Amino acid sequence: MAFDGTTIASGEWHAPGSSRSLPASLVEQAGRLVVHGESGGELAGGILHSIEISPRVGRIPRRVTFPDGSLFETEDNDAVDRFLAGKGRAREGAVHRLERFHPRLIAFVAAAILLGALIYRSALPLLVEVAIAVTPPVVPNIMSASALETMDRTLLDKSKLDEARRNRIVEGFRRIASQSARGEAGYTLHFRGGGALGPNAFALPDGTLILTDELVELAGEDTEMILGVLAHEIGHVEHNHSLRQIYRAAGVTALIMLVAGDIGSGVEEVLVQGGGLLALSYSRSAEAEADRHSVELMMKAGFDPTAIARFFELLETKLDDRGGASIFSTHPSTPERRKVILDWIGAFDERK
Amino acid sequence: MTMAESLPAQNAGKRSFGRAAEGDIQRLSFTGNGSEYFGIWIVNILLTIITLGIYSAWAKVRRNRYFYGNTVLLGRGFEYHANGEQILIGRLIVFAYLVLYNIMLTFVPLVGIGLGLLMLFFVPWLVARGLRFSARVTSYRNVRFDFVGGAGGAFLAFIVGPVLAALTLGILAPLASRWSYRYIGNNLRYGQKAFSTDPALGRLYGTWVAPAAVLVLGMLIAGFLVFLGLELIGSLQEEAEASTVGLEGVAILLTAFGSVLVYSMFGVAALIYHAGVRNVAWCATAFDGRHRLLSDLSRLRYTWIAVSNLIVTLVTLGLMRPWAAVRMARYVNEHTGVRFEGDVGELFSQITQEGSAVGAEFMDMEGFDFGF
Repeated sequence: MAFDGTTIASGEWHAPGSSRSLPASLVEQAGRLVVHGESGGELAGGILHSIEISPRVGRIPRRVTFPDGSLFETEDNDAVDRFLAGKGRAREGAVHRLERFHPRLIAFVAAAILLGALIYRSALPLLVEVAIAVTPPVVPNIMSASALETMDRTLLDKSKLDEARRNRIVEGFRRIASQSARGEAGYTLHFRGGGALGPNAFALPDGTLILTDELVELAGEDTEMILGVLAHEIGHVEHNHSLRQIYRAAGVTALIMLVAGDIGSGVEEVLVQGGGLLALSYSRSAEAEADRHSVELMMKAGFDPTAIARFFELLETKLDDRGGASIFSTHPSTPERRKVILDWIGAFDERK
Repeated sequence: MTMAESLPAQNAGKRSFGRAAEGDIQRLSFTGNGSEYFGIWIVNILLTIITLGIYSAWAKVRRNRYFYGNTVLLGRGFEYHANGEQILIGRLIVFAYLVLYNIMLTFVPLVGIGLGLLMLFFVPWLVARGLRFSARVTSYRNVRFDFVGGAGGAFLAFIVGPVLAALTLGILAPLASRWSYRYIGNNLRYGQKAFSTDPALGRLYGTWVAPAAVLVLGMLIAGFLVFLGLELIGSLQEEAEASTVGLEGVAILLTAFGSVLVYSMFGVAALIYHAGVRNVAWCATAFDGRHRLLSDLSRLRYTWIAVSNLIVTLVTLGLMRPWAAVRMARYVNEHTGVRFEGDVGELFSQITQEGSAVGAEFMDMEGFDFGF
């Protein structure tokens, strides 16, 4: 047969399913793509759109697969690109052209960092808000019930407070709870022996509050101080802090998973761990929010809003030595907190 | 644990058969370079962000094609054939299942727990399928690999093994490694021919000694630090009058340092172990009963490369990651090889593809092989 085509590239040709290769060249001939062996005979051929040409990645060999399943492989990527461009199929190489080593990549790095930060700073919080809005109330209830049960079995003991003491606290607690957005019915207060947790108070997402005997003892006769702490915990519940934290963590994990393949397992591991540290900084801002809530509630209920600041002071003087076990640990430093609280009280008074 | 462990195409020994003449050993090489991969890598990340994660499936394809294609044996590279749609479908199924599972867990806890157990039940099957997918989308010289392992073997290798290893604090880890390498190695096919592997338990234990020693040492140091920290806090409690914020800070720092140390000790031990076991298992593997595979990683060098890669990547905020990935691929490939018996040309002219191995009836179910 007459050899009258234009040679595109030279490479190797495999018969369908065979690992044996023959030196060959890819030729365009009378509107068809044809593979010629060294002797010039046609090994395979077909019209262009019945032939699959692999997208270009770096300098790895290009694969041209023919309808009969045979394969032509060539290292000459540029020649294949030129041929495709001539056929008006240059668009297919767009991703490869973006990937070429070029000063433009600096802009890509900047864009990736910017967009990543944007997602982290705005899209993620937005998604968290949406998730919280659609979370049915049964979720925090289930979470809280199982959390309380777990703690009762492991850490907490029965409360040994005397009745009178307890009633004073409950009465005050009702007053502040009725001022909260959820109202009095939204909260239940449990007294427990703190055991390993020591002087502590915490809130579960469904409005269950737990107060340890040790904290009550620490406060001595200052019931208002305890109420300040409880108002702070109510603040955590009103702002959905624990759900928020869970959703944030899930979102961060999802973001990390998506780029996991590109960053390697070691970095992925470090990021996941680092996410835990970031959650800590988030918890600090949550504390500030809860402090503010405490001030507002206490004022509305007609109590002394500086009570919580007094509590921090007490913690500082009495409890320095329990760093690990008090609620002191995740909280911002005390003097700074007191100052902020007093500022809020001032601001609040002005508004009235 | 993915196919990456078992294909002569990637990834991470020190036992060669004495000093064999290099003449009849064909080593792999890696022909990619950091700057070329950098472009692919940054575009992958950028497009993944812009498309809110959807492009990540195509990103995986391009990344794998680059690494497989630049892994060269006897002058020819490997090839990765999966397409983005296949991987995206797999990811979407996993994602939908997780969403459904979480919704059920909140509304109908019993159904949710049922779904969770169901998933556990299916894990071995999914692992086997995932390995089969990875094998079938990999080819060398126009012939694809295949994997014929079933769910039973996967259950033993990837659930019973790791659980046993964990329960015995790593003392039975070599047994688990033997199971997983045998499961992968004995079920891997290329053309119509099989791989076979039988790493001797004695040798696996031989390579287990060093990482075990590192772990014990790490634990001792961490234990000492915890003791020190507790002592400090104890002494603080005694003098609660004094302002001891500074000392408390010291205690916290000590705790943080201790946990980082334990963490890195675990990592280093795992890396040393991984490299050693790979050497043992690969050297105990043959293709078609005659052509022996070889892995002679230096365990120290491998660990050093992995650790320094991590540090460099973190310090450069990820920008040196492409360089690090290429560096590791190059080191591992150069210490991996095959000793062919007889004429190589002859061998490859006989190997043909069984038609059944290719098709779209399988897909990538990644995500289920997480955590093994």
